[in-house]
Amino acid sequence: MTSYEKLFDRLGLRDWCDADAADSPMSMAQLLAQTNEGNAESSGTLPFPSLDTLHEACNAFPQTRDMTISVEQGFLSIKDSLKFVLDPLTQPLSWILEGALFTFMATPWWILIPLLVLATWLATRTVSITVFVASVFLFFGVIDHLDVALQTLSIIFVCTGFSVLFGVPIGIMMSRSDRMQQIMLPILDMLQTLPSFVYLIPLIFLFSVTEPKLYGIAIILYAIVPVIRLTDLGIRLVEKDVIEAADAFGMTDRQKLYGVQLPLALPNIMAGVNQTIMMSLAMVVIASLVSAPGLGVLVLRGIRNLELGVGLVAGFGIVLLAVVLDRCSKAALQRIDPTHKTD
Amino acid sequence: MKRLLLTSAFAMGLAAPAWAEGCGDVTITQMDWASANVVTSVAKFLMEQGYGCSVTTVPSSTPTALTSVAETGIPDILTELWVNTAPAYAELVADGKLIELADVLSDGGIEGWWVPQYVVDAHPEAATLDGILANPGLVGRRFDNCPDGWGCRTVNDNMNRVIDMESKGIEVFNHGSGETLATAIASAYADQKPWFGFYWAPTAILGKYPMVQVDVGAHDAELHNCNSSKDCAEPGVSAYPRAAVKTAATTDFQQREPAIAELMSNISFTNDQMNGVLAWMEDNNASAEEGAVYFLTNNKDQWSGWLNDDARAKLTAILN
Repeated sequence: MTSYEKLFDRLGLRDWCDADAADSPMSMAQLLAQTNEGNAESSGTLPFPSLDTLHEACNAFPQTRDMTISVEQGFLSIKDSLKFVLDPLTQPLSWILEGALFTFMATPWWILIPLLVLATWLATRTVSITVFVASVFLFFGVIDHLDVALQTLSIIFVCTGFSVLFGVPIGIMMSRSDRMQQIMLPILDMLQTLPSFVYLIPLIFLFSVTEPKLYGIAIILYAIVPVIRLTDLGIRLVEKDVIEAADAFGMTDRQKLYGVQLPLALPNIMAGVNQTIMMSLAMVVIASLVSAPGLGVLVLRGIRNLELGVGLVAGFGIVLLAVVLDRCSKAALQRIDPTHKTD
Repeated sequence: MKRLLLTSAFAMGLAAPAWAEGCGDVTITQMDWASANVVTSVAKFLMEQGYGCSVTTVPSSTPTALTSVAETGIPDILTELWVNTAPAYAELVADGKLIELADVLSDGGIEGWWVPQYVVDAHPEAATLDGILANPGLVGRRFDNCPDGWGCRTVNDNMNRVIDMESKGIEVFNHGSGETLATAIASAYADQKPWFGFYWAPTAILGKYPMVQVDVGAHDAELHNCNSSKDCAEPGVSAYPRAAVKTAATTDFQQREPAIAELMSNISFTNDQMNGVLAWMEDNNASAEEGAVYFLTNNKDQWSGWLNDDARAKLTAILN
């Protein structure tokens, strides 16, 4: 006889409570209460009036499990209409990921690696970094990890590309409207903290598990945040005097954006792109849990089979890729803006 | 800490302090799948209420638990070990680090390739591998394979070297994790779509969704052994054997707490029982702990036989 049962009795709600007494599963606590029957519960205890506690005192209250079931039912009932809208919208992501993976896999190494090294040279114009990138690819080739490393790299390229494509415009919109910023900031916070499996598993219900867009969406949602934040910040940090001068010359909003704000915000935006690349690499192993190919698979195999060597080498490979991408994007950033110090 | 004190007290040749009478601290694995959670909850309840232990559950998986025992001698009790996927287990038993206590699922686990019941109802030929290969459209032209690093992945890949599903028009899809494998089944059921792939019982998934095991022919021990190794020279098609599912304890623990080791060697479930508990959990959306309570309240005769007299006396209130 808990205090809550007494409360319902006093309020005269006992009949309402017991009207449809369905059997709910017995909890361990109730079973333990049976073991020490006789030494009745001290009436001094006042457990928090949670749904489960109230349900024990009065059957008419739903249990917490009923709430979680209704969430599940709710998702399943809107699943079909969600699928109808989202499936065609996100399909290009699947095609592009498949295309990128196919291209990277089908191109012979003696074409692909020089191309990548050349791209590094064009982006950085730095001998040391170009040599470093070339030696990293040679290293991957020597230890037979070239294919998986390139798979990971192609996924990163596609996801980072999409992140910049969507992230910069969203950042610009946020910088031009305080209301937009107020709406977006909590969403960005949520994207960075939401455990990926919470949304990965429902996604499998929406799209087939074989679709590459599953992990594409997971990586983009997580990695897009820094580029949005830093675009917004960069434009907002442009000196007021410069904007005043632009206004004085009678520039339109569009001219101001393309001619003044974006060029001055570019260092910040590039720092955001750099962070986005790093964040998408951080998601590689999680993406492999939903069947993304690449180095993440080897890391997972290492964890599952306790093949320490396999896991460590693949993990080290991810770190190498991260260093390569980081150095390249920072060197490119320095070329864009000689005054911008990166260390 | 208490254990450390205890062992150091013993090491110095002192008599054990009074509070060490009965049962001290016990660590037991809690594997990350439904049936193992039920086993752990039942064992925890019996140890705590019947024998007065203080039980710590260690969330774990088979390889992790075995490595931990090999390196540190902890956890004390490992339960629901699917040993055929863990070669390290036999070594640990041979080295005398682990003692095998019981087959915790007495019928053994069932592994194999499955298709949903509704597919077989509509097309009975989908219940055999030949029928599927002759008509891959029945199963959606896809085979859902195990994640990299699982024992079944090696076996399936070796069998596929002989079957060559790709050439028969079935795409082999390698899952990234057990979660997506399970969700793929649930998602196929939600849309009543065909599905064909590897799974195992007793599991919550197979308790909830009626599936039919695909007949791939008889089990051939020699073939299966070859299939299980990565560099199998001559793979063949063989059904999976019944998987041994064990409870084991460290040798130290068995010497320290013989009564508990005795109890753990008695705890064992038939597949029907476990499937019943898992199905009931699914129907009622119950947790593993509630599943354990459901088992305990409905099978008193069975588990009272697992206990020694003292423990039975302590639990009379529930037993009668």
